Amino acid sequence: MEEALRPRLVSAERPVDGQALAAASDVELTAACQNGSQAAFRELLSRYRKPALALAYHMLGDAEDAEDAAQEAFVRVFQAIPRFRGQAAFSTWLYRIVTNTCLGRLRRRREKISLERVSEPRSADSPSHQVTNALMTRQVLSMMPPKLRTVLLLRVEGRLSYREIADALGLPMGTVRSRLSKARTAFRKLWLDLSESGD
Amino acid sequence: MLACRLIQRDLSSYLDGELPAARAARLEAHLRTCQRCREEIAALEGINDQIRAVSHDLQVSQDFDQRVLRAVGYYQVTRAQRQRKPLTKPLVVVALILLALLGMIRHFFSRTLPLPARAPVPAVSGLAPAASGATMPDRDRERRR
Ligand SMILES: [Zn+2]
Repeated sequence: MEEALRPRLVSAERPVDGQALAAASDVELTAACQNGSQAAFRELLSRYRKPALALAYHMLGDAEDAEDAAQEAFVRVFQAIPRFRGQAAFSTWLYRIVTNTCLGRLRRRREKISLERVSEPRSADSPSHQVTNALMTRQVLSMMPPKLRTVLLLRVEGRLSYREIADALGLPMGTVRSRLSKARTAFRKLWLDLSESGD
Repeated sequence: MLACRLIQRDLSSYLDGELPAARAARLEAHLRTCQRCREEIAALEGINDQIRAVSHDLQVSQDFDQRVLRAVGYYQVTRAQRQRKPLTKPLVVVALILLALLGMIRHFFSRTLPLPARAPVPAVSGLAPAASGATMPDRDRERRR
């Protein structure tokens, strides 16, 4: 009975494909992408669009720019995936591409993001102190030297290990360690400066 | 204090769980005795939450995937599917309306103007299932996160 039903159910819908994809590891998905699987690329996109966007958003300080940059990064990923050999984790590789895409855009922009330029995030309405905190956080990040900001964001948003950050940026582990420490100190100092000037 | 400055250099790695065990143990011992360093580590810990709070509410636009897929040439299939749907659905609707109209006209004329018995009657009833069978399944919507 069950045996007779199963083939019909499987062919009628395609949840089985979806479940298999959702359960697949990044390694399996990148391999499938290399074999031309469109569904695997879509799954990677759905898995990483949000963190990639968050990273770009913090780096660029503008939601629209961030969307463009994150999309551009995914297109680059698609183009480069045939040559991806899995030396690093897919996420590390992706974040490196997002980071480089954003740095390129910042270089082209060649302007400091001022508080006026920091547009309101497209977010659900939240209490005003949260909005103020968010604005200040973004302002602080935009004032940090890009080298420090990048390691901090890869750690906090990308949740990469020090080894992975070192791989992503081509830096020695010791440099990642010291930059993260400096980044946090700088963040805190800028935060306090801004809080005082705001009072 | 010199001890505090040495400790504070390690706080960031400690928070990230990236400090070698021996140094982590030394740091924890110091934290137990030093209020200032405890405050410092609490402040540093808050930075992660502050940064994540900014992006937490960030929304990915609905056409994010579509724009990427179009750029890499993967969107053609989906677009073709979408182009078929608006054509098929109205056709089915028009067919059903026509059938209903035909039925009403037939019904109306059969009552008011009795037709000659040999007048050909269009076999309309068999058409409806065939027409509705052509309906396309709904295009699966992009999942929104
Ligand atoms: Zn201390």
